[in-house]
Amino acid sequence: MSESAISIRNVSQRYGDAGAPDSVLALDDISLEVRKGEFVCLLGPSGCGKSTLLNVIGGLFKPTSGTCHVAGRLVDGSPHPDKIAFVFQESTLFPWYSIIENFRIALKFQGIPQSEWDDRAMQALKAVGMSSFASHYPDQLSVGMRQRVNMARGICVETDILLMDEPFAALDEQTRMVLGEDLSQLLAATGKTIVFVTHSLAEAVFLSDRIVVMSARPGKIKTIIDVNEAHPRSPDFMLEPRFSELRNECYALLRDEIRSTMAAQRDPQSAGA
Amino acid sequence: MMSSSRSSLAFWLRLVLVAFIFAALEIYGRFYADPAFMSPPSGIFRAFVERILPEPKIIEALFLCVLQIAAAYGLSILFGTLTGLLVGATSFSRSAFFPIVLLLFAIPQVSLLPLVILFFGLGPAAKIAFGFSHGVFPIIMNVVAGMRDVKELHLRAARSMGASRSETIRHVILPHAVPSLFTGLRLGMTMTLLGVILAELYVSTGGVGYYTRLFAENYNPAPLFALIGCLAVIAILFNELVRLAEKRLTPGLRRSAALTNLVKE
Ligand SMILES: Nc1ncnc2c1ncn2[C@@H]1O[C@H](COP(=O)(O)OP(=O)(O)O)[C@@H](O)[C@H]1O
Ligand SMILES: [Mg+2]
Repeated sequence: MSESAISIRNVSQRYGDAGAPDSVLALDDISLEVRKGEFVCLLGPSGCGKSTLLNVIGGLFKPTSGTCHVAGRLVDGSPHPDKIAFVFQESTLFPWYSIIENFRIALKFQGIPQSEWDDRAMQALKAVGMSSFASHYPDQLSVGMRQRVNMARGICVETDILLMDEPFAALDEQTRMVLGEDLSQLLAATGKTIVFVTHSLAEAVFLSDRIVVMSARPGKIKTIIDVNEAHPRSPDFMLEPRFSELRNECYALLRDEIRSTMAAQRDPQSAGA
Repeated sequence: MMSSSRSSLAFWLRLVLVAFIFAALEIYGRFYADPAFMSPPSGIFRAFVERILPEPKIIEALFLCVLQIAAAYGLSILFGTLTGLLVGATSFSRSAFFPIVLLLFAIPQVSLLPLVILFFGLGPAAKIAFGFSHGVFPIIMNVVAGMRDVKELHLRAARSMGASRSETIRHVILPHAVPSLFTGLRLGMTMTLLGVILAELYVSTGGVGYYTRLFAENYNPAPLFALIGCLAVIAILFNELVRLAEKRLTPGLRRSAALTNLVKE
C-alpha cells in the first residue's frame, strides 16, 4: 500500500445557486485517491468538470461540498504553492516579462529566496533545452518552445505535486507527442505526483499510470483504467498492441458520453430522458 | 532582405507622393488660386521666414501654446492615470464609478467652452482647463479597460503560484494595462491638443488663436498657413514624444523586430 498524495472525498461543485436556471452541477460526488509519485490523467468530454476538479485539488476554490486533502493537509479554497504547482496552457507565461523574468516572478510569488532564483531557473531551462532563450520574450518563441518553457516553470518550483490543465491543447499533434515524451523523461527522475487533464486519448494512454475517465455533465468518474508500463516511456510503447487496445477502450467509454453531450446540446428536453 | 527593400521602396513612394502634392499645390497656388484664400507652399515658407520668425509676439504665443499643451497634458496624465487605477482596481469600484466617467465623457464638451471661459477667464488657465478636460477621459477609460481585460488564465496562474493581492496587481494587472495606458496617452495627447487649440481659437487676446483670426480676417493666407504649420509641427513633436516613451516603456516592444523573425520556427 503506497502513501496517498491526494485524497478527494465526495466532492461536488455547483456553479450558481441550486435551482437557478443557469446553475450547473459540474462535479457530482467525486472520490479519488492519487498515490504518491503517480501520474493520473483526467480524461473526459469538454465541459465535464476536469478543470473544476483540478482547481479544487489546487485550492483555487472551495468545492460546494466534500473535502480534498493534499499530503494530509486539508485544501480549503486557498492555494498551497509550496506543495502544488500548476501548468496551464503555454499562454500562461506573462508576455510582459522575458523568459528568465517569468521564472523569477514564479519563484518570488512562491516565496523562494532571491539568491536561488537564477540558478533554479537556468537549471530548469537547461532540463528542457531552452537555456539559450532566457532573455527572450514569450512571443518571440514558437508555441512548442513556449510550452517547453512553461513546463519548466512549473517544475522549477520543485513541488511534490504538479497539476497540468490541458498543457498541450494549443500544440499540433507532433509537437504534442514530442513534449509528452520529454515530460515522461523529465518526471521519471523527479518522482512527482501528477494530475494531468487532457482530451487526447493517445496522450492519456502514453503518459498515465491510471486514466480517470469522466462522464459528461454532471461530472462523475465513469471508470478508472490502469496502464501498467514503467516510466520513462519510449515512443515504441505507442506501437505495441496494448497501446491501441487501451486507446480503443478509452474511446469506447468516451464515445457514449460525447454522443449524449451532443444530444443534450441539440435538444435540451431529451437530456434527462 | 526582402522586407527591408520593400520598406525602402515604400519610403520612396511616400516621398514621391508628398513631393507631387507639394508641386501640385505650388502650381495651383501660383497660377490659379485666389491669393486672398490660398498661398503656394513657397509663399507659406516665405511668410514663415519673413512674418512669423521675426515677430517676437508670435513666437511668444507659440511658446505659450506649447506650455499650455504641456501643462494640460501633464495634468491629464496625472489625474487620468490615478483615477483610472482607482476606478479599475476592483470590479466593484469599476461598476460603482465607471458609469460616471462614461457619462461625463459623453457630454459634447465644446458646448461647455463658453462656461469654461467664464470660469477661468481669457488667459492660459481656460486653455489648460479645456485641454485637460479633453485629455483626461481617454486616459481614464483606457487604464480602466486595460486593467479589466487582464486574462483570467494569468490571474489564476498568479494565484496558484501563491501571489498576494498586491503582488498580483503589481506584476500582472498593471503590466497588462501598460499597452492600453499608452493607447490612452496617445489619444489623450490628440484630445489635449484639440482642447487647447479649440479654446485658443474661441477666445484669445494675444495667443496663437488671436493671430490666426487676425490673418484670416485680413485675407492673408500665407502667414495663416505658416502658423497652422507651426501648430502641426508642435502636434507631431508631442505625439512623437509619446511614441518614444511607449517604445521605451512597453515590455516586449523593447526588442527588435528582426530578432523576432529570426527566432520564430
Ligand atoms: N466559473 C464558472 N461559472 C459557471 N459555470 C462554470 C464555471 N466554470 C466552469 N463552469 C461550467 O462547469 C462545467 C465544467 O467546466 P470545466 O471544469 O471547465 O470543464 P472541462 O475542463 O472538463 O472542460 C462546464 O459546463 C462549465 O460551463
Ligand atoms: Mg478545462
